[in-house]
Amino acid sequence: MSRVDCKHIWKIYSGDVIGVKDLTFTCQHKEFLAILGPSGGGKSSTLRMLAGLEAISRGKVLFDGKVVNDLGPSERNVALAFESYALYQRMSVYENIAFPLKAKGMSNAEVDKKIKDIAEALDLTSILKKKPSELAGGHQQRVSLARALVRKPSLTLLDEPISHMDQRVRAEMRARIRRIHNELGNTTIYVTHDQAEAISLCDRLLILHEAELQQIGTVEEIWNQPKTRFVAFFVGEPAMNFIDGKVDGPQQVSIPTTEGKKTFKFSGKIDPKYIGTDITIGVRPQETKITPSKEKEASIPGSVKVIEFQGGRTFLTLELSDPKKTEVKVVVLAGATKYKMRDTAWLEFSPEFIHLFDEKTAIIHRK
Amino acid sequence: MAEVRLKNVSKYYGKKLAVNNISFTCKEKEFFSIVGPTGAGKTTILKMIAGIEPVSSGNVYFNNRIVNKLPPQDRNVSMAFESYNLYPHFTVYDNIAFPLRAPYRGKLSQEEERKQVVEIADFLGIGELLDRKPQYLSGGQKQRVGLARALVRKPEVYLLDEPIAHLDARLKFSTQTLLKEFATEYKSTIIYVTHDYREALALSDKMVVLRKGVIEQLGTPEELYYTPATDFVGRLTGEPPINLIDGEIVMRGKETFFKAGDNFAIPVQQDLVDLMKRVARQEEGKRITRLGIRCDNIELSRKKISKNSFQLPVYAIAHEVESSIVTFELKDTFLYARVREEKASCDYDLSEVVWLDFDQSHMCFFKKTLDISKE
Repeated sequence: MSRVDCKHIWKIYSGDVIGVKDLTFTCQHKEFLAILGPSGGGKSSTLRMLAGLEAISRGKVLFDGKVVNDLGPSERNVALAFESYALYQRMSVYENIAFPLKAKGMSNAEVDKKIKDIAEALDLTSILKKKPSELAGGHQQRVSLARALVRKPSLTLLDEPISHMDQRVRAEMRARIRRIHNELGNTTIYVTHDQAEAISLCDRLLILHEAELQQIGTVEEIWNQPKTRFVAFFVGEPAMNFIDGKVDGPQQVSIPTTEGKKTFKFSGKIDPKYIGTDITIGVRPQETKITPSKEKEASIPGSVKVIEFQGGRTFLTLELSDPKKTEVKVVVLAGATKYKMRDTAWLEFSPEFIHLFDEKTAIIHRK
Repeated sequence: MAEVRLKNVSKYYGKKLAVNNISFTCKEKEFFSIVGPTGAGKTTILKMIAGIEPVSSGNVYFNNRIVNKLPPQDRNVSMAFESYNLYPHFTVYDNIAFPLRAPYRGKLSQEEERKQVVEIADFLGIGELLDRKPQYLSGGQKQRVGLARALVRKPEVYLLDEPIAHLDARLKFSTQTLLKEFATEYKSTIIYVTHDYREALALSDKMVVLRKGVIEQLGTPEELYYTPATDFVGRLTGEPPINLIDGEIVMRGKETFFKAGDNFAIPVQQDLVDLMKRVARQEEGKRITRLGIRCDNIELSRKKISKNSFQLPVYAIAHEVESSIVTFELKDTFLYARVREEKASCDYDLSEVVWLDFDQSHMCFFKKTLDISKE
């Protein structure tokens, strides 16, 4: 078992609170899928329905084409690790990891070998004899992860499994989790609120917000063609800039500025009904060209308002010369031109990096 | 606004030395950050500047005047804490206005008070919440109210202790930008405590890294990032953190090598050899030194890059949007290298053996002051 299909699943809690609304997606065999979104968006409810810990209010969950709605957690052969560790406090780390194996009736020698392997992979060898209470939160979380992975399940469900680890350890754990996924050759569904973590780990991203599916796709698809304004805003750091503008023609938008109207071409198609209407232009801070002098007629001037050094790169915040004095962020890599406070700089937007939105959704169709 | 100076300041709690002989100057209008892990003494320093904790020895100066004996209210500082400490029975408006109503500061007219409260609340994006009571606010909203209350008046110095630690990632970054805007707009002296190096790099004019009550390094964010004084400072900044590798100093003919494995030996540029030897230590009859290099300064290729190149098998690859992080496993640590997609594609297989090349102009060597073994 390793392909997962969710067909129109709903989670409705008492009092008609909708946790998950009509969600349909497929996670392919051997895929690493991240479910990403802000808290309260329905991520954990979805994962718990897959695990069998939460009843499915409507719709069907299929594992390899077989409906599993009525199967209990133990009958689904999935492994789970949660943000809260749920370790047995009176057992040692070794016994905690051994628990699911012994429950399956595996011999002691076999159990021992498997534990040694997973402890090695997650670097837990030195703490196998300790009790959970003697461990820091990050270590406990790793034990919980080891317990989930030791069974070599065909489907691994992970809910914020490394959120309590400090930054340095998180970099290591991402590498380890990805390595284990590849070595096991299984299917992994991973819940996180951290977009950078989701991007670095997964093959595809599923974005949930306010109980609804926003978009599912590869990192490139989500990055280059966000379908909703929420997705555009949520994925990427710093967040996408939004500027008020107007559609002038089938492939042309404009932004009014104190220097007059600035027009830009964009690639892709839009419904002609938008021509002549006010829309929002989205440009990513990483995909905005900044120059110290005016290089093109369309370049928009802005004044440097905030400079934030970030190590290998710097974030600039510019106040544009449009009527709303929109603040726009730009990423400048180390070694590029340096700007000072209150400098005037010029921004250029390339056609392929321009996104357009109405109130909620993207209105450019590419390909 | 004042200049704040600490000279040889120490703090004992009973017999425990929490802050050990610290000296630094935060100039007028400067944004000065104190960074370090939990328990390093950051908050203690802030409390001594505020006058909430007495110093055990040394002096605290405001504009060259010793303030050791001045009680907090006479120092005219404004503080925000990680815990919000809002008055639960006051509205957000009254919480923010509270510092403006202190009797010894003279009374503001109602219009003037409202103007100042609304200005800072709007600036921090909580203008809509003024009539609410704290119990109806989220943690992030409470924290911004706490921050607004600290920023609403113009004291000699603002003392901010992890004021944005509880905001979610998105809000944290935008509030960080607002704080920086505030600091430049109002030309404020700000002393800022955080455990998050990214906040400190982004916000500060100057920063100190504190470790167990002692200053590890003092400088601009660029100085600390590009020329960390110790392995500890190097480890604190960067995502992923700087690579630290222990290796043996080996001479082959006239050349000095850094050797960290059978296939991993690189000839070290002459101008680095002195430093490399100076920080070395003896371990089991070998001369061991510690190399530091950021993931951005390592080049990868399927072909040999230079005579300094060496080979390692790929442990894991994490693809990010504009770059990929390739991880290699060494004997006692992981090594990270960043491949920027515009420069080279990153389609290596797991366990594939690839060539690595270190940019020697960005290598540093450190004395061993911390354990780098895998977690």
